Amino acid sequence: MSRLSRLRSEVSADWRSFVRRRTAVFFTFFFPVILIVIFGALVRTDPGSSGGGGLFAEPPGYYVPGYLAVVVLFTPLSRMGSEVARHREGNRFEKLATTPLTRGEWLLAQTVVNAAIIGLASLLILGLVVALTGAEIAFSPLLVPYVLVGVVCFCGIGAMLGSYTDSQDGAIAASNAIGLPLLFLSETFVTTEQLPGWFEPLMNLSPLTYFARGVRAATFPEAGIDELAGLEPALGNLLVLTILAVGFFALGAWSIPRTD
Amino acid sequence: MEAVVVADELQRSYGDAVALAGVSLSIGRGEVFALIGPNGAGKTTLVRALTGTTVPDGGSASVLGNSPERVDRDRLGVLPQDFSPPDRLTARELLAYYAGLYEDPRDPDAVLADVGLADAGDTWYENLSGGQQRRVCVGTTLVNDPDVLVLDEPTTGIDPAGRRTVWRLVESLADAGTTVLLTTHDMAEAQRLGDRVGLLADGELIAVGTPAELVATHAGSSRLTVELATPDADTGAGAEPATATPVDPATFADLEHPVDVRTRAGASTVVVREISPSEIGTVVAFLDERGIEYTGLTWAEPDLEDVYLALADDAEAARTTRAGADVGATAVEREAAGDGEGKKRGRGSQ
Repeated sequence: MSRLSRLRSEVSADWRSFVRRRTAVFFTFFFPVILIVIFGALVRTDPGSSGGGGLFAEPPGYYVPGYLAVVVLFTPLSRMGSEVARHREGNRFEKLATTPLTRGEWLLAQTVVNAAIIGLASLLILGLVVALTGAEIAFSPLLVPYVLVGVVCFCGIGAMLGSYTDSQDGAIAASNAIGLPLLFLSETFVTTEQLPGWFEPLMNLSPLTYFARGVRAATFPEAGIDELAGLEPALGNLLVLTILAVGFFALGAWSIPRTD
Repeated sequence: MEAVVVADELQRSYGDAVALAGVSLSIGRGEVFALIGPNGAGKTTLVRALTGTTVPDGGSASVLGNSPERVDRDRLGVLPQDFSPPDRLTARELLAYYAGLYEDPRDPDAVLADVGLADAGDTWYENLSGGQQRRVCVGTTLVNDPDVLVLDEPTTGIDPAGRRTVWRLVESLADAGTTVLLTTHDMAEAQRLGDRVGLLADGELIAVGTPAELVATHAGSSRLTVELATPDADTGAGAEPATATPVDPATFADLEHPVDVRTRAGASTVVVREISPSEIGTVVAFLDERGIEYTGLTWAEPDLEDVYLALADDAEAARTTRAGADVGATAVEREAAGDGEGKKRGRGSQ
């Protein structure tokens, strides 16, 4: 009961703090929207050129995991990174370390807030992708656990970034430096065939790859995703992503400073 | 008195810098222990070592019978130095947030009233004045009604009236049995609140005692400072700038009190020691009889600031790059503060 009340208190404070930063709210939703408008509506996909290579040569539905990945990846990385740095700079962790709230509870509360924000952004993205690009996708219930588990995973990584960088600026720069390559090299917008063969094993190291493959398997079956660990691709990739999420969450919570 | 907070030979270094060089102290239940000392003396490190937010290199500490890492957090209230809570929450929301982290919290509105901010509960933290912000921060340490309260410079930036509100609050908590450790640069605060005061310098606790004990031991006696009139500056074209002729200490030999005379930067000051307010008239009469003009008379009882200047200035002087000059100045100031050290070292009088 007391753990729940601690979580509720932390979530409530974090949520209020977020929604009262209007520019942060605006750009959290604007960023994925502008990407969809640029790439989905202006550049557009061109399935006819798939034989000749080039970006956006797949049907619109193929890129849904990529658009979702923009918020599932970038929002936790940048928000958690800067939030941890902000807490450290304001001696908030020093204060929290003397309260009953644990580091894991703090990170869990932050994750809940991120999940709510990203859940709303994901709904917006799905709606816009369908409306603007005409993507034909299946609205699988598995989308919910994928988004949640993805948020848990990248909140853990974001907490580590914030813990190991020495300022908010550093945390944001690090999240961009890590997030951008991950976004484009995890089977989101760029297909495996468009990359050198030797690079494929590296793609398997990215948690976002399992998110992209799984979401694609769930929403765009035509993509023909392979089975994983003897399971259907949508479930197999979710399993791997969950294992990674648990690991990164634990590492993230452990990395949050408790002493100087 | 039952020891609630104990430090035993605590040591902590950051690279080559020694923050704590074997600090030991014991604070009893309901006692207010005020920690004073120069910047960088190790006060915040000691606070952190006692609250489990830094790991000492050596020695041990206990709070409420447990190591600081294992102490029951519901019984501890801590205000870190330079603490900056989430700034887009109202004062009431902030207190409710921290209250929600504890098992049996107090009503945030009651805490707001305690810190004198009952009317500012709906104002965002970022829109409060600096002093109000600090009072909210103090409030965050009270939401769990702690048995041990650790306040690192609690009244920094708070106006005098607000400071007294916090002082009264700390006094009432201590009266109710709360053990308080506070650090401060405000000697009046330490003197008023501290049942005992510890002076930390260069990582060492160099003096501990009640304010009265420290003053009696280290601050010297009461003193009357007489500022002598300066000769007219303009003595004609080409004349030397006004420089006070050194006053002969023998001039005051007939006074029945120890006297130090100092001439500096064109002004002479006579410090008459061990003098009560009722004896000031005898000094005035003495000056009038001899036609010695003066521009000011200041009588002062020695206080904790004199203790601080007497003990901590040595460390400060040792750190400064202008050590030679500053040691001289320090000795003069110490002399003016009524301490015999400057005179003993032969730097005080001219």
